[in-house]
Amino acid sequence: MEKILKKNSFPQWVKKFIDYDIYAPVEDGDFWNYSLIEDPKNINLDFLTTVLSPKKIIFPQKEILLEFSTSNNGDLELKERLPEEKTKVVFGVRPCDARALTLTDKVFGGDFIDPYYQKRRDQTLLIGLTCNTPPSPHCFCTSVEGSPHSTDGLDILMTDLRDKYYVESFSGKGEQLINLGKGLFETPKAKDKKELEKIKADSEKKIKRQIKNIKKIPKILKGMFESPFWDEESLSCLRCGICTYLCPTCHCFDINDEVISSSPLEGQRVRTWDTCQFPNFTMHSSGHNPRPDRASRLRQRIFHKFQYFVEQFGDFQCIGCGRCIAKCPVGIDIIEVLEKVDKYGA
Amino acid sequence: MEHNTYLPRLAKIIQIKQEVGGARPIKTFRTQFLNENDFSFRCGQSAMLSVFGKGESMISISSTPLIKDYLQFSILKMGRVTSALHEMEENGIIGIRGPYGNGFPLDRWKEKNLIFIGGGIGLAPIWSVLQTALEKKEEYGDLMLIYGARTSKDLVFREELQELKSKMPVHLSVDVEEPGWEEFIGFVPQNVTDKKPSPKNAITITCGPPIMIKFVIKALEDLGFEDDQIYTTVENKMKCGIGKCGRCNIGKHYVCKDGPVYSWAELKKLPQEY
Amino acid sequence: MVSLADLKQNARNILKEGKVKYIIGYQSSSNGLRPVPAFIKAAEEVDKLIWNPLCVYNLTRFLVDEKRRKAREKNPDERPVGLIVKGCDSRAVNVLLQEKYIDRDNVYIIGLSCEDKGVVDEKKLARKFKEKKIEKIEFGKKNQFSVTTEKGKVEVAAEEILADRCLECSANVPVIYDVLLGEKTPRKLENPYESLKKIESLSKKEKWAFWKDQLDKCIRCYACRSACPMCYCDECVVDSINLAVTAETTAQEKEQKIRWIEKSPQLSENFVYHFVRAIHLAGRCVDCGECERVCPLDIPIRLLNKKLEKEAKELFEYVVGFNPEQPSLISCFRDEDPQDFIR
Repeated sequence: MEKILKKNSFPQWVKKFIDYDIYAPVEDGDFWNYSLIEDPKNINLDFLTTVLSPKKIIFPQKEILLEFSTSNNGDLELKERLPEEKTKVVFGVRPCDARALTLTDKVFGGDFIDPYYQKRRDQTLLIGLTCNTPPSPHCFCTSVEGSPHSTDGLDILMTDLRDKYYVESFSGKGEQLINLGKGLFETPKAKDKKELEKIKADSEKKIKRQIKNIKKIPKILKGMFESPFWDEESLSCLRCGICTYLCPTCHCFDINDEVISSSPLEGQRVRTWDTCQFPNFTMHSSGHNPRPDRASRLRQRIFHKFQYFVEQFGDFQCIGCGRCIAKCPVGIDIIEVLEKVDKYGA
Repeated sequence: MEHNTYLPRLAKIIQIKQEVGGARPIKTFRTQFLNENDFSFRCGQSAMLSVFGKGESMISISSTPLIKDYLQFSILKMGRVTSALHEMEENGIIGIRGPYGNGFPLDRWKEKNLIFIGGGIGLAPIWSVLQTALEKKEEYGDLMLIYGARTSKDLVFREELQELKSKMPVHLSVDVEEPGWEEFIGFVPQNVTDKKPSPKNAITITCGPPIMIKFVIKALEDLGFEDDQIYTTVENKMKCGIGKCGRCNIGKHYVCKDGPVYSWAELKKLPQEY
Repeated sequence: MVSLADLKQNARNILKEGKVKYIIGYQSSSNGLRPVPAFIKAAEEVDKLIWNPLCVYNLTRFLVDEKRRKAREKNPDERPVGLIVKGCDSRAVNVLLQEKYIDRDNVYIIGLSCEDKGVVDEKKLARKFKEKKIEKIEFGKKNQFSVTTEKGKVEVAAEEILADRCLECSANVPVIYDVLLGEKTPRKLENPYESLKKIESLSKKEKWAFWKDQLDKCIRCYACRSACPMCYCDECVVDSINLAVTAETTAQEKEQKIRWIEKSPQLSENFVYHFVRAIHLAGRCVDCGECERVCPLDIPIRLLNKKLEKEAKELFEYVVGFNPEQPSLISCFRDEDPQDFIR
């Protein structure tokens, strides 16, 4: 379904979403982040990129899996805590972030379906926004099989045509949302379609950074496991968690029991984000650590994204948003690392 | 909807046996689910045991799947969760979820001679295969066990081992001389070299401290065993048990899901990061 | 003016003479204006070194990494590491010496004076130049920076884009060094705690609301802890495993490690983490500002540490990082220290 929505009709459309929780990027000082919107008038889509991707709406940083408590007669009781939330609609999703969710879908599905992730995923509608210009100087989505106007994982894609939006839907749920605002939409004219095609074509050309031989990278990496290359590249790594916490495709987590009261026993089993960059991520109780130094942990991150995931699922586990490059405190640049890997293989 | 795999099933501890005391105690627990369910497992699989309030720990199931009344786990006291398990008493309630892992490929080993080589607590993961093979003796070739520990007090399943001696060759060892010990004195790999098991039509299953496994594999190679005749189990820190939390991977394999059982041929192909 | 040529020559000499294992300095980055840390191992690589107003890093924290690396090696190279420091960074070295974490002969210090200026806050720079693309930024004449954009070069008054901490800095010239480049410019410090004024003027309720708002954002990436040279503990309050565990550590010891803070990023845990860290840094923080710079969510953590620095000065006349021989704040006392809280 393809429609035109005038920008000044946009708040009226959103007003019709009374049964949904609405999320959109909200400005906070110098940066933007997705937040729950109380008043649809406040949705402002003139943003570039957000610090945290919309992954946190479907896979929150803290999630209660179950609750345990002792009842009055001393019996232990378990209560499953599947998410009980309203259906959500997220506006302003960059195509790369939506594509990231199709990649995390592969991880959380498979042999054992993760019911917490699945329930939230099924109950969240994603409305994308084409990147007319690259949101970040470090964008490289076109190098990793993405594009500034990709529709993977999106229910609707909106493209900014100055005074109006070109609205395309790709799913039944997306169509339903458009139908909520019946009278507000118009049929696109031929010149609208032409402008859309031009914006989409131009958007790809504006992406400055590229990884030239990315298709060769998985094979080159396979031979580089023991190389001292990783010691050199990780010299300045601080082993914080920024690159992985901000990454839209990273999915590592921890499970811990948080006790509210020890007698009578009451508490929750909580899932939280975790990162392979923390030194104690893989540390055994005996003190043995398969990844004891920053070289092995940087190697794990690069290999996971550009070799292991490729062998498992056939895709790179990177969507080219450039958040890790923009926010790394010591300027470790994943594109530069991959270009060096490419040269190494030559 | 299918059962939420993160939700443990409650089970009662019906029996606790202190196998080893001292600074590194080992206890064997037998558990029974509180409610009827369809839990079934294969040899070599593990389960996540929960002590609510403390956490979870992935422990291999050491009883044979042929026993339906209980699940048996042998647990070494190592850290937070295992210490809490050691403090539990009979009738205590724990959570069990699983089974996880790939298990031993028993169906590929029909008619073959099975040689079990264990060290310390490493006997527990291979005990379930041993018991199953013993029960179904007609399906397999000759069975042999080579097992050792630091001292005689560190051997697990001591009573069961004595019983076993009447059913199959059992070669025990301790690391250093001690009064009253009449069997082999030395490390397990040395005992392997001493007993010279034949590689003809044989499969070896070994488990124990990483350094023991390394030298056992070398001893077996020297005796003429091929890489695909040697099976072992690998361990890594685990949290989810289902290949999603990203923690236990060796290369593209998640040890909790694609392992922990590997043949030496398969293990050699993985990145050496464990 | 610090001469880059002199810096490079110094670096070249000590590497050629084999005096140091490698030199930690600044080099330009492939992806932006801000330089990245450089680890120069050979005299030929010395040309990578740069020095400009965006050299904000406190490179002292890499001395902690060096010590950890040496502890893992069988036959470590005992030569010192060369370290390029600004005034604030040199105070951090003093704190590490004071706490006997490193010895004086583990580090060869190349001090660079900030003279009458300091380093630039990237956010202030971006705000001042809005959409224009900045190509270069250099130290200009007195109290000025030279910024080159696509439209040409302009001179900017230093105080408009200096980092907040530079406006309150008491060590524009390194206080400990083996060689010093640049002038020992005397500088009057008029408003030492200017950045605290705004928050100190708030009511208790407003302060609580402010920190609640800020710490709600925290994702506990621990970049603040990782960037701080003084956060070198193997057994940190936030970790559930003591990093110094070995095969000999008893199960009892591991079981008894208290979980002070849960891993989940909720407000209560975030508060405890940040405030406990600030208290652990009282009398040790040199206000290098790295914690605030690295935070991906722009939480003004530096204010917490600055407040405790002010308390240490006002209550105990304690200043941090000027003397490697002084005892640490919490391990010494004077007879005239306030005692009215002791009943």
